[in-house]
Amino acid sequence: MNSIKVIFKKQRSTIFINRAYATTKKKIHDRNEENQLPIFQYPVSKSSDRRVYAWGMAETGALGVHLPRGKRGRKSYINDFKYFWHPMRSSFAERFDVTNIACGYGFTLASIKTNEQHKIFGTGINTDSQIGYHAPRMGHPLELLLSPAPIYVPYKSLETKIKAIAAGRAHTLILTDNEGVYTLGNNAYGQCGRKINENEEYKGSMVTHNIKRLGKENIVDVCCGQDHSLFITESGRVYSCGWGADGQTGLGTFLNQAAPAAVRGDIANEKIVKVAGVGDCVLALNDKGELFGWGNSEYGQVPVASDQQQVNTSYALVNFTKGIGKIVDVAAGGSFCLIVNDQGDVFVWGFGLLGLGPSVQHSATPKQIPPTLFGRNEFNPESVVAKVACGIAHLAAITNTGDLYMWGRNRQGCLGLGHLRDQHFPLKVAIGAQVIKVECSVDHSVAICKPFV
Amino acid sequence: MQRLQLTLAIIKPHAVKNPVAVSYIRHVIKKKFVVVKSKRVSLDSETAANFYKEHVGKFFYNRLVTFMTSGSIDIHVMGHTNAIELWRRLLGPTSVYKAQFQDPYCLRGMFGISDTRNVAHGSDSPASAEREIKFFFPDFSFYKWHKEEEERYRTGPIIFNDYLFRHVRRL
Repeated sequence: MNSIKVIFKKQRSTIFINRAYATTKKKIHDRNEENQLPIFQYPVSKSSDRRVYAWGMAETGALGVHLPRGKRGRKSYINDFKYFWHPMRSSFAERFDVTNIACGYGFTLASIKTNEQHKIFGTGINTDSQIGYHAPRMGHPLELLLSPAPIYVPYKSLETKIKAIAAGRAHTLILTDNEGVYTLGNNAYGQCGRKINENEEYKGSMVTHNIKRLGKENIVDVCCGQDHSLFITESGRVYSCGWGADGQTGLGTFLNQAAPAAVRGDIANEKIVKVAGVGDCVLALNDKGELFGWGNSEYGQVPVASDQQQVNTSYALVNFTKGIGKIVDVAAGGSFCLIVNDQGDVFVWGFGLLGLGPSVQHSATPKQIPPTLFGRNEFNPESVVAKVACGIAHLAAITNTGDLYMWGRNRQGCLGLGHLRDQHFPLKVAIGAQVIKVECSVDHSVAICKPFV
Repeated sequence: MQRLQLTLAIIKPHAVKNPVAVSYIRHVIKKKFVVVKSKRVSLDSETAANFYKEHVGKFFYNRLVTFMTSGSIDIHVMGHTNAIELWRRLLGPTSVYKAQFQDPYCLRGMFGISDTRNVAHGSDSPASAEREIKFFFPDFSFYKWHKEEEERYRTGPIIFNDYLFRHVRRL
């Protein structure tokens, strides 16, 4: 035993001596050493990796970036709102696998891939509890969240997946794969699909409502206008609830609708694959690529024969879009509509900065925006627009190569072009990734992207 | 010596729900006007229909009434030598979709969402200002205010009370 100890001691001391008296020795260069060195490998992204970029008004916290106020103090509003006029990469998306994004009026939602309770995160304005109940102290719910916080939704199983999310002016729809739709937030018009309670206090409310199925069918897609909600079921039926004063619920009335009901009119026997509408006008697309519309038509968004300004049943716009061909994507803003056909040609009508010239104008018929403006030229003949999106007054188009083009009203830098001037023709936004999907709201925009390498 | 004129401002529900908009609009009101009365109420549909009875029969009447009853609204009675015109100028054109291009930095161009959700209401003439103020403050006497209190709001000493959100007499 003693001898072992001695050996240990000896070894230690020798090491110690070696270290203490080690001298630098001139290294003899070995010619083969270079081949043995590890080759530095840049990290390559997985195909499932996603990046999220956000730009526009940051004052509401909707971008999830907390910017401390300057020296002038927190109440010095001299037109100096915090905004980003370039796309900013969100650090939230680097920590979680973001699958879906939705933008409401001053707030943003993101769903992540996880098997845990918190599947949805939200940031921004929370005065109607549209992003859940968050209170640092009992009885003092937060009105404004400056960085993303998890939303508590009472899922029945943690295995539930989020399929889609949508956000309106002050309400949120969460579509799950087998538990139906959960709704949160303001229900003053019935947009959450539950009974309207007069004088309900929405601030600090913890109410979520579950709509399991509609007409004995599962729900496959959801869409939010500012104050109404739209649901698409498996067989392509459209259900709606919420504010109907412009006819945006399409139920043949101008009343508020508290329980989702099937939209009437030409749409009734069609298989609808997509509905779109940010403001009070709704466009729908069926599986054959035909267009339908209802809702606000003050600026001629839904041209019907009787020249109504408020269309409360759905109308087929097949004659109106004659010659355009099969439509693949639609978007509707506050006062204009935007569609793209299978050739990648973009058409626009309505009122506003439509992208057809330097002046604000009104167009009663669909007019094509020249395809060269979307990068289709001699060097890039294959570049075509694949998807379109709209905010209240700004427009966006994504090409098949993943480039994002934006134009329209530049409220608080929501176009991401690096200035605050309105843009009257489509211009490419500088984003360092391939854009997959863009979501626009009133004064901010968020894009989900795929890394280039 | 110009006497103060009174006007009524109603901050509409969607703007009241946006803390950034409320903060900005209140800043403008505080800097430009003397605030005589303020309150936050939520209307029922009967009151709102009564208030907007001049618009009965127009296509946007139902839309306006249902919108105004959808949440709480802020009501301010504000004084300035040219109050009615100044407040309407700060608000900008009524239609938001046009206002945002004609005058991007008016209140409606900055915070409006649609033609109905157009941030705020302003009286359009001295007669309608009197009617609207009487509507929301039945106890408020125009004659008495102009006779007894107008001079103090014009010449002071007054101080702004942030909690009440109105100007009060400095003690």
